[in-house]
Amino acid sequence: MITFERVTKRYADGTVAVDALDLEVPAGKTMVLVGPSGCGKTTSLRMINRLVEPTEGRILVDGRDALRQDPVKLRRGIGYVIQQTGLFPHRTIEDNVATVPLLLGARRAAARGRARELLELVGLDPALGRRYPRQLSGGQQQRVGVARALAADPPVLLMDEPFSAVDPVVRASLQDELIRLQTELRKTVVLVTHDVEEAIKVGDQVALYRPHGTLAQVGEPEDLLGAPADDYVRDFVGFDRGIRRLSFFGTGDLDLDTSPVLAGDATVADAVSTGAPWVLVTADGGRPTGWVPRHRLDAAGSATALRDLAADHCEHTFTAGTDSLRAALDAAVLSPAGQAVAVDGAGKTAGVLGYEQIRAAIAARAADGARGKDR
Amino acid sequence: MDWSWIPSNSGQILQLTGENAYLGIVPALIGLVIALPLGIAAARWNWFYPPTLTVLNIIYAIPSLALFIALIPAFGLTDTNVVIALTLYSLCVITPNVVAGLRAVPAAARQAATAMGYGPARRLLTVELPLAVPVIIAGLRVAVVSGISLASIGQLIGVSQLGYLFIDGLQRSFPTEVYVGLVLIIALAIVCDLLLVGVRRILTPWEAR
Repeated sequence: MITFERVTKRYADGTVAVDALDLEVPAGKTMVLVGPSGCGKTTSLRMINRLVEPTEGRILVDGRDALRQDPVKLRRGIGYVIQQTGLFPHRTIEDNVATVPLLLGARRAAARGRARELLELVGLDPALGRRYPRQLSGGQQQRVGVARALAADPPVLLMDEPFSAVDPVVRASLQDELIRLQTELRKTVVLVTHDVEEAIKVGDQVALYRPHGTLAQVGEPEDLLGAPADDYVRDFVGFDRGIRRLSFFGTGDLDLDTSPVLAGDATVADAVSTGAPWVLVTADGGRPTGWVPRHRLDAAGSATALRDLAADHCEHTFTAGTDSLRAALDAAVLSPAGQAVAVDGAGKTAGVLGYEQIRAAIAARAADGARGKDR
Repeated sequence: MDWSWIPSNSGQILQLTGENAYLGIVPALIGLVIALPLGIAAARWNWFYPPTLTVLNIIYAIPSLALFIALIPAFGLTDTNVVIALTLYSLCVITPNVVAGLRAVPAAARQAATAMGYGPARRLLTVELPLAVPVIIAGLRVAVVSGISLASIGQLIGVSQLGYLFIDGLQRSFPTEVYVGLVLIIALAIVCDLLLVGVRRILTPWEAR
């Protein structure tokens, strides 16, 4: 656990970077510090490992006052990841990862063995260990940076804009990787970003800063989206926060409509008898193959098998129970029929969902959320 | 060109070449040893660099012959005189490279080292200096090559090396000697330069080739 108690950082010219900050980072959780540039989020992070010294206040790291410890020893117990990776260009990947264990006196062979394990943990081929940083892509280097920070198994991990310098696809995969690692390792993570999307995706808790080093709101991501404290938070979180909040709503107990779902060997007469404006045709095994509109049914012979008719695409599906309502809504918007196709874990059609059912599900979940967030 | 002169004087030629190599390499190495702490201090304390650079540039502006003569009262007409003068010149060439090399260390690598628990001395020795090696060796190469060439002026105060062949060849109107001296000085410079390139490659396996 990390606790900020009335922490202020004032520079010699009078600039206040962080102003009487009180903040608690629970052990084993990811706390994201987010805010506009110059809001003091990075300064707050750097005060934890004393790269920046606070002017006033106390910072406790696992109950111990950071300011009363030898900074060099303190830092060896805190992992640190930065945007530009900060890998040592003159050391192999393996030796980069082994840095802190070697500083702590580990034997070189043991430290390198541990380094190879860590490379695997962050999703890299341990054979890359013999290469030098410049021989790796930006995304790979960033993974090495994470492995290096984890090498001595520190309880605390500080990450300063760790994914800002890579392209959006790589960024998304690194974020997923961090979430996966966290379910496994349960470190106390403090991550700084200017990207609200990232904060909401990776944070267990989000601390949103105002300019000049004060906090606007601290809470779970869903709180910021669902119950912004004021206009500043509302603006910062963005105009589509309603849509993004749907990411936190599950799709486990939806009433899926199975009446317009027909197998490929069903006839046009069967399809017409459903009365539905669109029918969804499935293959053997239940995989959805395409949508057929009513006018196309009317133009075909009543004994024709559905699989012989031209069908419109239905490639955007969502997995009922696993995906969020946001994915369901997305699938409905992208569907030619205006209905989302739900599949089960095996890809078999579970049913379809129209806008009206999605709207009802949103209303029910929002009411649950307002009552007490038992989702 | 009298080719037969070469084999009949090979002993003397070899000795002069050895002396010239000594006067080129030793001052550069002593210069490196002094330039390192000087450059480290200048890189660390910004205020210290401008005056240091000014003093070094003034030294570098002193004509070599004048410097040799100025050192005669203290060191006489000796090798030491030339070694000291050339050391001063190599210091002028290497120190700015030490500073530039240290300043070129990526800020992120330096910050990461601090954040992982390196003390200042360990960070300097195991992160900053190794990363500055290519730029420092670039300075050393210039110092060695110019030292090998400048050493010949030592002949004017009677310190022997390949420059002897120029004076002797001129006085005897015997161009072969001058040509041999010139070719050997250039060859020596090239060999020493290639050796330093090899040293750099061994010390920096991490660099792009």
